[in-house]
Amino acid sequence: MTSKGLLRGASLTANAVWHRSSFFPKVTVSVHPKLVKFQSFSSTTACSSLPPPDLPRLAKTAQISLTPNEVEEIAPKIQQVIEWFGQLQGIDLESVEPSIRAETENNLRGNAPETFDHRDALIASVPSYEEPYIKVPRVLSMD
Amino acid sequence: MLLSTLQTPRSLSRLTRLPHPLPSAAPHLPDDDVLLSHARRLDAQIAAGEDPGPFAGVLVGVKDNICTADMPSTAGSRILEGYRAPFDATAVKRVRELGGVVVGKTNMDEFGMGSTTEASAFQVTANPWDESRVPGGSSGGSAAAVSARQFVVSLGSDTGGSVRQPASFCGVVGLKPTYGRVSRFGLMAYASSLDAIGCFGSSVADTGILLHAIAGHDRFDATSSKQDVPDFQSHFHSVSSLESKPLKGLRVGLICETIDDGIDAGVISAIRAAALHFEELGCSVNEVSLPSFSLGLPAYYILAVSESSSNLSRYDGIRYGNQVYADELDSLYGGSRAKGFGSEVKMRILMGTYSLSAGYYDAYYKRAQQVRTIIRNSFKEALNQNDILISPAAPSAAYKIGEKKNSPLAMYAGDIMTVLPCGFVEGGHAGLPVGLQMIGAAFNEGELLRVGHIFEQTLENCRFVPPIVADDIAY
Repeated sequence: MTSKGLLRGASLTANAVWHRSSFFPKVTVSVHPKLVKFQSFSSTTACSSLPPPDLPRLAKTAQISLTPNEVEEIAPKIQQVIEWFGQLQGIDLESVEPSIRAETENNLRGNAPETFDHRDALIASVPSYEEPYIKVPRVLSMD
Repeated sequence: MLLSTLQTPRSLSRLTRLPHPLPSAAPHLPDDDVLLSHARRLDAQIAAGEDPGPFAGVLVGVKDNICTADMPSTAGSRILEGYRAPFDATAVKRVRELGGVVVGKTNMDEFGMGSTTEASAFQVTANPWDESRVPGGSSGGSAAAVSARQFVVSLGSDTGGSVRQPASFCGVVGLKPTYGRVSRFGLMAYASSLDAIGCFGSSVADTGILLHAIAGHDRFDATSSKQDVPDFQSHFHSVSSLESKPLKGLRVGLICETIDDGIDAGVISAIRAAALHFEELGCSVNEVSLPSFSLGLPAYYILAVSESSSNLSRYDGIRYGNQVYADELDSLYGGSRAKGFGSEVKMRILMGTYSLSAGYYDAYYKRAQQVRTIIRNSFKEALNQNDILISPAAPSAAYKIGEKKNSPLAMYAGDIMTVLPCGFVEGGHAGLPVGLQMIGAAFNEGELLRVGHIFEQTLENCRFVPPIVADDIAY
């Protein structure tokens, strides 16, 4: 009963703020304070709508073998940070272009081969090397 | 006055000024013979009437994620223990070409991830102002070594505060240049859209000279700018030649979100004193509100962890770095990375893997890039109405080793930030330094250096020499 009431209240507030945010269709310079305050509600809402991180699966994707102790230790920290990331979910970004990097030149150079003078130094850093190959173990995929 | 017989042996003793077991520069110091041979070569050039370059004999430290061909470069990580790059980074090459003596590599948080330098896989670095405290991070070793006068200047890197915050904690000048002003070739990538090589010096003039040395287009970095590099040194006038209001007309904006709740009272006091100092120099100072400022930190972290998870995938134990033997390739990857990376790095790679995953990319990474646009636009507008913006460089002075705070003020690529020592708070033997952050428009480093120089030279009753050095000088 109590939790249901709380949910209804939160939803009503969220709806009200969404309605109000329609007065600011373009965010060109700064975020209206109301939108900033809106973050806390949306954070809760958005986090519950996105599944939490599946750490073993992430570790597999990232190719890092985690011990069970590490999984146990890292999982709550990652969860906490991901929830904190959720602050960005409530901002109206409809007409905002993503900035991939600083506004800077992209000075490509010509596509011409060049000889690197220190090839021996590159090879010297390879952990397992048998001229002319870099050795790796067999490739197996269970997926 | 031969360098090899007079100066260098004395300089060698400075390299070990910070006591063991908390060195900041010890990991990769070259043999004494290497330094002496540098000095002998310079002596020979001078004797032959050649110009040895503006950095002749200047001791330079290099953060350990910036490649040096003659010393290991580990980025503070076990995965690169003993790794020797086959080339010098462009910034290192330029310093050497001007006669600089690259004396050693400095300690850092692993791959730049951290704000205390405690995340180094090798050792903890002490703050010269109080050896029980951290130097800040991730360029803590570079800042501490300049503060301790082990080096004259040093190179660091800054992705989200890693030059500015240690500059504040160690009481030195730190400069993050405009993204693109300095080549990133040879800087081990953390977050490519945010990384910048930055400079530390014990004065604005030294820092500006170092920036001038390393700045300029490089064909090996497609994002390096072809804009002309101005002569930064022309801005450094003697204090005696300054008029009474040398900064008359300069508009200074104090970012009010950076001096509210959560900021140490002593830091706020020091920043307000700095604002008063600007007024005495003829500036108009007003408070600027940037409501989007608070969005910067989560957006920064999403961008940084996303890009780093991609960048750090190159450390797989195959072509270089530590390898864990295994019968299958997947196990080799997984084991090498598990053993080579520290906990903080693992965590960030995993978070970045999550934020770039299918189904989450738009919710996290893309939104963070959109927020970046909003913040960039906010700063642009603020920098149209003000010549510079100021704020604390960090919410507090240096904390104790082990205290483990981890929230640098996040900043954005495209702008330039310089941190100046500007005051002290209680702590340690002689107080702890507090840094003032100054933010300027893109590619306008010259103006920021000019303002910083005047601020520094006219600041009274403040001399930012840590006790460990002052005692040595007195003797």
